[in-house]
Amino acid sequence: MMTRLAAWWRERVPVSGVQLRELTNEPVPNHLKKWWFALGGTPAYLFVVQIVTGILLAFYYQPAPSTAYESIRFITQDVAYGWYFRSLHKWGATFMIAAVILHQMRVYFTCAYRRPRELNWVIGMCLLMTTLLTGFTGYSLVYEQLSYWGAQVAANISNAVPVVGGVAKHMLLGGEVYNERTLPRLYILHAAVLPTTIVLLVIVHVAFIRVHGVTELRFPDEDVAKPSHYDFFPDHLYTELSIGLVLMILLSAVSTIFPAMIGPKADPLTTPEVIKPEWFFYVSFRWLKLFSLTFAVLSTGFIVLAMFAWPWIDSALRRLTGSDDASVYIGIVATFLLVGLTVWEAVVEH
Amino acid sequence: MAEHGEARGRVSDGGEPDGGEPNGRRLFLRAAMGGGLAAGYGTFAMMAGKFLYSGGGSAVGWQFVATVDSVGIGESIAYAAPNGAKLVVTRQSEGETADCFTALSSVCPHLGCQVHWEPQNERFFCPCHNGAFDREGNPTEGPPLAARQILTRFPLKVENGLLYVETPLTTLADAGDAEVRGAAPGGPIG
Repeated sequence: MMTRLAAWWRERVPVSGVQLRELTNEPVPNHLKKWWFALGGTPAYLFVVQIVTGILLAFYYQPAPSTAYESIRFITQDVAYGWYFRSLHKWGATFMIAAVILHQMRVYFTCAYRRPRELNWVIGMCLLMTTLLTGFTGYSLVYEQLSYWGAQVAANISNAVPVVGGVAKHMLLGGEVYNERTLPRLYILHAAVLPTTIVLLVIVHVAFIRVHGVTELRFPDEDVAKPSHYDFFPDHLYTELSIGLVLMILLSAVSTIFPAMIGPKADPLTTPEVIKPEWFFYVSFRWLKLFSLTFAVLSTGFIVLAMFAWPWIDSALRRLTGSDDASVYIGIVATFLLVGLTVWEAVVEH
Repeated sequence: MAEHGEARGRVSDGGEPDGGEPNGRRLFLRAAMGGGLAAGYGTFAMMAGKFLYSGGGSAVGWQFVATVDSVGIGESIAYAAPNGAKLVVTRQSEGETADCFTALSSVCPHLGCQVHWEPQNERFFCPCHNGAFDREGNPTEGPPLAARQILTRFPLKVENGLLYVETPLTTLADAGDAEVRGAAPGGPIG
């Protein structure tokens, strides 16, 4: 019976285990055995966690100003394990954004974006932007005071972008001001448009990695007698699964110890005395306090554009300075600035 | 299936021979196909864009604030619009026209947060990015000062000695609320 069933399956799915192994097998350089070199798989794993918990939350969430807050309260306080899945989703977002930033920093400081991998760096930047947008739209859905005013501020920031800003604000809000059509828009962006974009970008990102191979790094303490590569399947897959297991334990622990809370309901007529965005926007929030809106928006746009174009800027810098390390020094200064502004915004009220 | 396989790689419709330059008819068909696809999907994209952009505006209307002679020069009154928005109406000078009054919005022109009056500091303060405005709505601190942004002023008119202000009639605060709050002049501020 089993033999006949296996034969039936093989006839309809004529792919052997050997073919599957060949298809997935990518020689992986030894340094990927260290977790900080394997940070690309971490956001991918967390993305799956977000999809699963997000689908669960969507069974109860109602994206309208009159119902959103109450449905979040219902999920958090009344539904069985609602607090747990909501907390997993919230902390999963935090971990995912942190992992994307760390992965990008690893790629930056090891100069893995250099020729011929420039386009994959651009895809990675698109993934960073899409992930941040997903985080922003997700937080806005809670419809508590801070998330409402965060969305309000963000929409007005986009309004300050030259030429396309007004249209972008109108498209985001579904009108000139935050109205009853805004939450459904943020919801469909968060739950459908942005995740689909992430999936498509990840497919292209991984395809580029398969085409170019993983960046080869050389270390002075390397044993030349040992093989420099190992198999993706099953060796590296096990590494990724182990990282995933550790992540899940961490995520579950943090969600239990610091569960997602719910603040006061959004009041469009009263801005809270102390207002903060999510931690990953502390930098831009502090930047907005330091400079005029036009300068802050234009300079942020310029920095993001420079990040997109960094492989080519780096190439020009190397030609100009004759040194390979200019990007590394710039990266160190940028990291200090990033961390400094984030901590500054975190520790002060205004 | 077999017929498909045999036809592949050959030109059988009278076009250019294999490897040759495309002839006029083939070029025309390619252009027609490309143009048709671009026009079709382009139209769809344009319609989708317009669909997403539509949103409708919010209704505005003239609301009674106070009788002109009940507000002294330099005196301000807090006014709650039908949508709950807070306004500060101040008489700036002697006279019976709308130009003698200002109606300041409580929405910060920087990024849309709500300002509130701080009596101890004699200023409107925005908690989002530390913007501040004086009694007339002129910027005194923070990003609004850097960008010279003043508090928005609502249109006013005077008819038969009665002062009216034009404000939005509905807001998100009303969502799920069947009852629309009525206009009610508030007390003096500052």
